[in-house]
Amino acid sequence: MSSTTTQTSTKWSVEYDTVRRHKLFRNTPKDRSAFPALQAAVKPHIESFNALWDEKLIDAGLKDIGVHTVVDGDLRNPSRTIRRNKLDLRVTEVILDKAVLPASNKFSLQDRNIYPSECRERHATYRGKLRARLQYRINNGDWKESVRDVGQMPIMLRSNKCHLEKFSPAEMVRHKEESEELGGYFIVNGNEKLIRMLIASRRNYPMAIARNAFTGRGPTFSKFGIQIRSVRPDQTSQTNVLHYLTDGNVTFRFSWRKNEFLVPVVMILKALVDTNDREIAEGIIGSSSGPTTPSSFVSDRTELLLRTYKAYNLKTRAQTLAYLGDKFRPVLGNPITVPDEKVGEDFLRKIVLPHLGNVDVTPAQNNDKFQLILFMIRKLYALAAGDCALDNPDAVSNQEILLGGFLYGMILKESIHDWLMAVGGAAREWLRTKNGATFADASFDADFLPKIVRRSNENLAGRLEYFLSTGNLVSQTGLDLSQTSGFTIVAEKINFYRFISHFRCIHRGTFFAQLKTTTVRKLLPESWGFLCPVHTPDGSPCGLLNHLAHQCQVQIKRIDTSGIEKAISQFGLSSVPAMDVENSLSVQLDGRILGYSPAKRAKEISQLLRHWKVGGEHNIPTELEIGYVPTSNGGLYPGLYLFTDPSRMLRPVKYIPSDKLDYVGPFEQQYMNIACVDADIIPNLTTHIEFKPTNILSILANMTPFSDFNQSPRNMYQCQMSKQAMGTPSSNMMCRTDNKAYLLQTGQTPVVRPPLYNEYGLDSFPNGMNAVVAVISYTGYDMDDAMIINKSAHERGFGDGVIYKTKVYELNEKSRSSRSKTEIKSLFGFAEGDPNPSEEALSSLDPDGLPPVGTKVGEGSIVLAYHNVMFDPSEGKLKNLDGNTKYFKYKDSEEAYIDQIRLIGSETGDQPCQAISIKYRIPRRPIIGDKFSSRHGQKGVCSMLWPSEDMPFSESGIQPDVIINPHAFPSRMTIGMFVESLAGKSGALHGLAQDCTPFSFDEDNTAGDFFGDQLRQAGYNFYGNEPMYSGITGKQFAADIYIGVVYYQRLRHMVSDKFQVRTTGPVNALHGQPIKGRSKGGGIRVGEMERDSLIAHGCAYLLQDRLMDCSDKQRAWVCRSCGSFLSTMMVPNQFTLGRKGGRVEPSGMVRCRACARPAVFADSKMLVWEDGAGRKFVGGDNTTVVNVPGVLRYLDVELAAMGVRTTFQIEG
Amino acid sequence: MSGQREAYTLPTQTGGLNQFASGFAAGDASGGPTVQYVCGECAAKVSLGRGDAIRCSMCGHRVLYKERTKRMVQFEAR
Repeated sequence: MSSTTTQTSTKWSVEYDTVRRHKLFRNTPKDRSAFPALQAAVKPHIESFNALWDEKLIDAGLKDIGVHTVVDGDLRNPSRTIRRNKLDLRVTEVILDKAVLPASNKFSLQDRNIYPSECRERHATYRGKLRARLQYRINNGDWKESVRDVGQMPIMLRSNKCHLEKFSPAEMVRHKEESEELGGYFIVNGNEKLIRMLIASRRNYPMAIARNAFTGRGPTFSKFGIQIRSVRPDQTSQTNVLHYLTDGNVTFRFSWRKNEFLVPVVMILKALVDTNDREIAEGIIGSSSGPTTPSSFVSDRTELLLRTYKAYNLKTRAQTLAYLGDKFRPVLGNPITVPDEKVGEDFLRKIVLPHLGNVDVTPAQNNDKFQLILFMIRKLYALAAGDCALDNPDAVSNQEILLGGFLYGMILKESIHDWLMAVGGAAREWLRTKNGATFADASFDADFLPKIVRRSNENLAGRLEYFLSTGNLVSQTGLDLSQTSGFTIVAEKINFYRFISHFRCIHRGTFFAQLKTTTVRKLLPESWGFLCPVHTPDGSPCGLLNHLAHQCQVQIKRIDTSGIEKAISQFGLSSVPAMDVENSLSVQLDGRILGYSPAKRAKEISQLLRHWKVGGEHNIPTELEIGYVPTSNGGLYPGLYLFTDPSRMLRPVKYIPSDKLDYVGPFEQQYMNIACVDADIIPNLTTHIEFKPTNILSILANMTPFSDFNQSPRNMYQCQMSKQAMGTPSSNMMCRTDNKAYLLQTGQTPVVRPPLYNEYGLDSFPNGMNAVVAVISYTGYDMDDAMIINKSAHERGFGDGVIYKTKVYELNEKSRSSRSKTEIKSLFGFAEGDPNPSEEALSSLDPDGLPPVGTKVGEGSIVLAYHNVMFDPSEGKLKNLDGNTKYFKYKDSEEAYIDQIRLIGSETGDQPCQAISIKYRIPRRPIIGDKFSSRHGQKGVCSMLWPSEDMPFSESGIQPDVIINPHAFPSRMTIGMFVESLAGKSGALHGLAQDCTPFSFDEDNTAGDFFGDQLRQAGYNFYGNEPMYSGITGKQFAADIYIGVVYYQRLRHMVSDKFQVRTTGPVNALHGQPIKGRSKGGGIRVGEMERDSLIAHGCAYLLQDRLMDCSDKQRAWVCRSCGSFLSTMMVPNQFTLGRKGGRVEPSGMVRCRACARPAVFADSKMLVWEDGAGRKFVGGDNTTVVNVPGVLRYLDVELAAMGVRTTFQIEG
Repeated sequence: MSGQREAYTLPTQTGGLNQFASGFAAGDASGGPTVQYVCGECAAKVSLGRGDAIRCSMCGHRVLYKERTKRMVQFEAR
């Protein structure tokens, strides 16, 4: 398909297109990828990273940080009259370079770029140099600047800072990437890491919430609050909450640097604009122009709100600002020289609704903030009065996505901020050491860059690398997030399905995982089309870890809203609200109040905007979300909420009136009428229709054939299992160094697949194989979800796979940083003049101390030789002195072959080999106990490789590859598997690729009829049953057998990784019971329930064996008289006692020390015994040996330590 | 396994291990045997001795592969 003249086609159908794919493989396209859908799947990640520089998020963050000012002089002296010098610091620019070799590498001349593949192979981090332009001035003099090197920042692959960004598939292959490399992740220490997307509450939308925790904030606090997550231009957020107090008052709460603060809301209102009580009252109650009377609920509370504020006795805006500034100066860290009023303004700028004005706030912006707070108070009163419903924070309509790139930028911004503070602190520290010095001194200027700034920790990018490698957020502010860890995950390439779904997954946040309530996990109708209802794991992350529907997009770019504002201004909105909500719905654009309009008018506006938006008229973008909430009786607070902000989920649907594409967001969707199929359209109501009903499913859920025939949990299981299948992780396996990679050798394209299979290019990554499956109870080896595999199919390579394991052997564990030659302590290879190198090593290693590629290694095989060296300055060489060769060994118990050996050099290119990575190949043909599954959540374990000659056969001589038991179906109701079997069979007979898109058949045109007819045309039974003959007797079975072709996946859970046997082995040191853990050779616990069942079966000797003999059985001496273990003692051997230096040896005689009495002269010598100290005793000879569990004696000792005595009665 | 392998050594390598063992006894001053590796970038053959910097002599690439052995590798079929 690809040629020089025509562009690579991106249109795909359900067909096999074998020739076309082969051509794509052989001549990788030089223009563009043939699978744009695959590239689009990772867009949220890449675009959000690109936005850091493209959308100037970093610059916005720098503006928000602003100028950090430090002053000299005594800080404890609060007087503002003393003359102080001030030092202003700011960062004006942050530059990220692409990944290139350091200047110290003088060897590479042609291509100095470091490509991601090299980082994977060298187990290094793919990162580029980060520089920051630091500016400083003293006493408002001229800004001086220095471009500081602030470390190496990890770069997202295929982002605008990556070399691969615009590479064609052909160039990708040339740089050892997969042809369809997606990017979107980072490479940190050779691991592919990605920042997972998180759910955040919808930005700039005041949400009505009720939390019982609110009542604990203070006296009279009610559970009601209005919360708004206000997002600054740099995507950092600040949550503001208005609390309703039971007396009717309202308090403004925010959290700043992990501390909570409460401010009376009226104080904020009065600080924002020059206002008066009347204006505030009218803003809350509504203007009194109409005939309606205000509701006494609101007016009473408004009056109280204003009256209680009188106590502060702040009249003007300036007074209020100064009051706020005075209180918040230490919180915000403004220097002493700044007047209170300015600090107050800074407070409003940084904390109060920063989305409406964050930097250089204009009076108009302050008025916007004022209006929005008034709106929030009104909504709060409506909520308290019970007039409006709560917003559900668990519904997608009130959520957006916290994107990885944005989070990455936030961390960078915060580390820049912290760095500025640290430099300021270092400057003051300099003053302290130079007694009495000031910032105005010439010596300060001279010392500033070389001493003060140099001494601060300039490795800002190191924080980002730490963040990526651990997923932990170390932050002063907490970034308005509810968690501090678990932000990043390893993008495992078990197979490609798993890899791609990492990029589509959205986590609700680790905080919610601990929550006992299950409300957050519920599947809500609001999620329709945005989050896949099928694709979520079962178990603990169920409902918290969701996946985006495959058509769901995330908006990243900022949209120009001038067209919208202009269009809306034509409608003529009232600037003040009326008293009743019906007549004054607020019209908000991205959390800014544009005006108020009657409900009917608002609805018209929304419809008109929708029409314009779809048609592209009036410069209104299609990404605009028009959330019209109609007035209702106790429903959501009404209004017309327009959103253009980034981070929103969007999905394409068709606008029926103009038959055009429209993007719909989750907030507007709840009040829209979108038909799923044509039959759903209700005239004059339905405005939109889905392009395809399968758009609501994720990529993986779409791959389940005929999923609409299955019981829904089975589809969930399949989504889980397709991610565990041993498939094809990538097509550049030889250039990858994953710790563990699974590869299916004999992958096939499924006969039964949806067209999306090709659109996502999944034929490059086969995930299973087509198998002839007979549903029959044969031999009994297929009981209980076991399956019988035809031995000949196994020999033909059915399910054949390998595991690749990469092990890195490093000589210098501590640091991989470049070190000079003198510091190198050891080298690979045999020691020079080693007198007797190990015979095994000589035979299995090459002269360079490395094993030959292709050798087989077993447990304990020597794989590498190394030796210690010292630098000999006289020769300038590293020399071995001790003549002693040391070896690295292969530790795993499974035999493997050495597949690849990499010698890892340093970035500087002048280091001898200090690390070697060896890739082992472990063959894993299917054996009994390996797990397989069809694509319908029907998993089973191979119970037997049945000889081909004994397999049943059909009239046409077909033998099944796999036999499964019919009992797998009735309770699980996976009808989809039957249909797949039918479709697969007819597809194989006719040579067709069968389309298995769900929802394409109905009651009138059934799938059974369609595929049955195809079967009939091929000369087979319409129902898919065939007469079959026993392979053993040759007799025909009494029943016809359902046989067809089903795609089977081999799952990565294999017995070879799981089997655990032991008779004896390592035991716990304390009580002598076997330790646990397969890797340590431990045992499996026979727990209480297992014990019960053994008792029930009467297996007393088995129990004795498990719980005693194979566990902590001990022979212990016990005294029959006093029943104590502890008082018995071995009498020392009298004859060896006196020897000099001799040990105290046991005599074999055990006496009870407690029952014995001290010997007297009269005692017979025969009866007297002596302890080790030479004391003589008589008696205590009633001792015996018993078998007891070791833990019993331990218990005895522990009890004795607490003063509790135990007595054992010895019988017999 | 090792004994068998010795018998299959290709004639071009005149008894690889023996040669290598003698090199040890002589205390080769050049820093041990030099072995050829393959550059991960340009696939050029790179000869390295012990203690040499890991770098392709042609393109300066920093990852080298060990070549697949020329010796015959035979395993017992089961």
